[in-house]
Amino acid sequence: MGHTMGRGLYGMRPLDVMDPVDAEKIHVNSLHLLETMGIKVVSAEGLRLLKEAGAEVDEKAKIAKIPSYLVADAVSKCRRPVRLCARNPKNDMVLDGEHCHICTDGTGLSTIDLETGVRRDSTKKDVADSARVVDYLEMMNIYYPIVTPLDVPKHSHTLHEFDATFNNCEKHITSGATYMKEEAQYELKMAAAVAGGWDELKRRPLVSALTCTTSPMVLGMTTDAAIEFVRAGCPPMMMTMPLIGATSPMTVAGAILVGNAQVLALTTVCQLAAPGSPVCYSTEPMAMDIQSGLFEGLFPAANMVRAAHVQMARYYKIPIFVGGWGSCSKLPDAQAAYEKALSAFTYYLAGADITSGPGLLENWTVLSYEQLLIDYEMYTIMLDMLKGIEVNDDTMALDVIMNVGHEGHFLGKKHTLDHFKTMWQPMITDGQTYHSWKAAGSKSAADNARAKAKEILKTHEVTPLPDDVKKEFAAIIKEGEQKIPH
Amino acid sequence: MADGKEAILSELENSVKNLQEEAAMEAARKALSAGVSPIDAIEKGLAKGIRQVGEKFERKEMFVVELIYAAEIMSNAIKILEPELRKSKEKRNVLAHVVLGTVAGDIHDIGKNLVRIMLEASGFEVRDIGKDAPIDGFISAAKEMGAEIVGASSLMTTTVSVQKEVVDALRSGGIEAPLMVGGAAVTEAWAKEIGAVYSSDAGSAVSVAKSLVGKGG
Repeated sequence: MGHTMGRGLYGMRPLDVMDPVDAEKIHVNSLHLLETMGIKVVSAEGLRLLKEAGAEVDEKAKIAKIPSYLVADAVSKCRRPVRLCARNPKNDMVLDGEHCHICTDGTGLSTIDLETGVRRDSTKKDVADSARVVDYLEMMNIYYPIVTPLDVPKHSHTLHEFDATFNNCEKHITSGATYMKEEAQYELKMAAAVAGGWDELKRRPLVSALTCTTSPMVLGMTTDAAIEFVRAGCPPMMMTMPLIGATSPMTVAGAILVGNAQVLALTTVCQLAAPGSPVCYSTEPMAMDIQSGLFEGLFPAANMVRAAHVQMARYYKIPIFVGGWGSCSKLPDAQAAYEKALSAFTYYLAGADITSGPGLLENWTVLSYEQLLIDYEMYTIMLDMLKGIEVNDDTMALDVIMNVGHEGHFLGKKHTLDHFKTMWQPMITDGQTYHSWKAAGSKSAADNARAKAKEILKTHEVTPLPDDVKKEFAAIIKEGEQKIPH
Repeated sequence: MADGKEAILSELENSVKNLQEEAAMEAARKALSAGVSPIDAIEKGLAKGIRQVGEKFERKEMFVVELIYAAEIMSNAIKILEPELRKSKEKRNVLAHVVLGTVAGDIHDIGKNLVRIMLEASGFEVRDIGKDAPIDGFISAAKEMGAEIVGASSLMTTTVSVQKEVVDALRSGGIEAPLMVGGAAVTEAWAKEIGAVYSSDAGSAVSVAKSLVGKGG
């Protein structure tokens, strides 16, 4: 089983950011929106499925008014718990609502070069390298191609991403840029080649995909990709990404409502396409900088919409994948650290199964290897806190306290020796005295992270795919490059 | 018998190195009954063990908690050897004699204790005068043991000035031994200002102390 940490292992409860009564109101009004206003469904297959199940469909406007009972039925049918498997079964996971997981995010277009420090276009090698770093980091669970390679044909980039990822990372893969049915089909073909066939892939879903809904109130072409994934038994992360004040109301509650209604609509389509299939709720809203009009991922309002969506996902007992760890900062600096820490930790406290985004800067567009390791370091700190506090006779150590007595210390005690290894340990965080720090070259966290990333890339090796799978990959990519519409 | 002695010495060494308290006590008792000299038991047994722990600590292969635990094991084993040690005419072969204390008004002694452990593990003989130690305590202890180095630790900004009083008292008492200072509130500049030598942590205390007595750093 992949390295995960039990959230609230010792009694810590998830944080409700809304009163439970208010969460109920969001649910009821989501049903009301879907039933009375309806949702526009651009996907022909999605619209057909809804119509056949009893939705009132306006074919010309492509709007489906979905009765509440269809939504309720779909929610009850979702597979629980959701399993996410990996090329190496030791990295398999179960999303049971009680464990924290972490994934990278995409889909950046630039990379801050690890050697030169200069920002440049992203390449297939960046996908391979960052995948290898993620493979090395023990507690990282999922790799999502952090950048889109600009040195491969544009229409088949996701296939090249899978190629670079499967060969450099033995963890679960989430595809973030699957917009078309055809892309989904070729991605799944590659996954099936690694799994050993379609049945095996269904049994052990090695891949998942982010499939975005469109705000306000549209299920776009990505719905077709979601349908392909559920039919293959691989979970879609059914994402809502409202821009607060632009594609959703200016209020946090309004953005929560619009987003939740869209996720429920896609849930319904997915369960009609493949009843009992695994799906995940997903959210990544953006907030407006009201001065400039630019949209930013990690402003407080967007954080609260996400945390509220976590609460809604818990309400439906569907696992949730939260796009977090974003930052508007251009550098691995203090701003990046506080935006990322405050956002990600809030979602985990609220009960998120997965958050995504380590390594990206400037609103998920720029890869920084330094930031990837800094974010990972923050995640290990969060995990150490999220498990809660073990309270029993041994951990309270009543007799040890009495034995040490007044003014003594616990450093040389057997109890200390028995327990100290459970303490969190830094990988790149500096804790030296000024004197030692200065003697070691006055390194910042980013300097330490850069050195660590270089060390990992120099030393960490991943077993490449078997030759026959590699051959199959080459054939699939060749065919995909011809047949994916472009 | 020679084999037996070697075996006991390596038991002493290994029990400290592997943090096995019971085994260390047992080996110390065996050393006594087998007639192993207590000086050998310490220098060729226990101290070899703790030096390895100290080296591993320096290389970040062992943790501070383990270093302190190893030191406790060693000092408990020495307690068993003590009656014989007092009778013995042999002297321990030490790098230098050090008086160490946390200055008056300050009770933060964990750092000072770490320095003691590291110095002892490296072959220094340390007289620890404890925490909240009066100034004349440093002077009398230094005179008694003929200290080549005096160490004064201070964690708080309110007690750091006492280090200057210690160095002044040493000099007016005719003691020329250098004063080594450390602790969270202490800086290199402050050490220079009062005519002392700065050491930032337990590891560097060893190299500073060695260079002060001309035994390499």
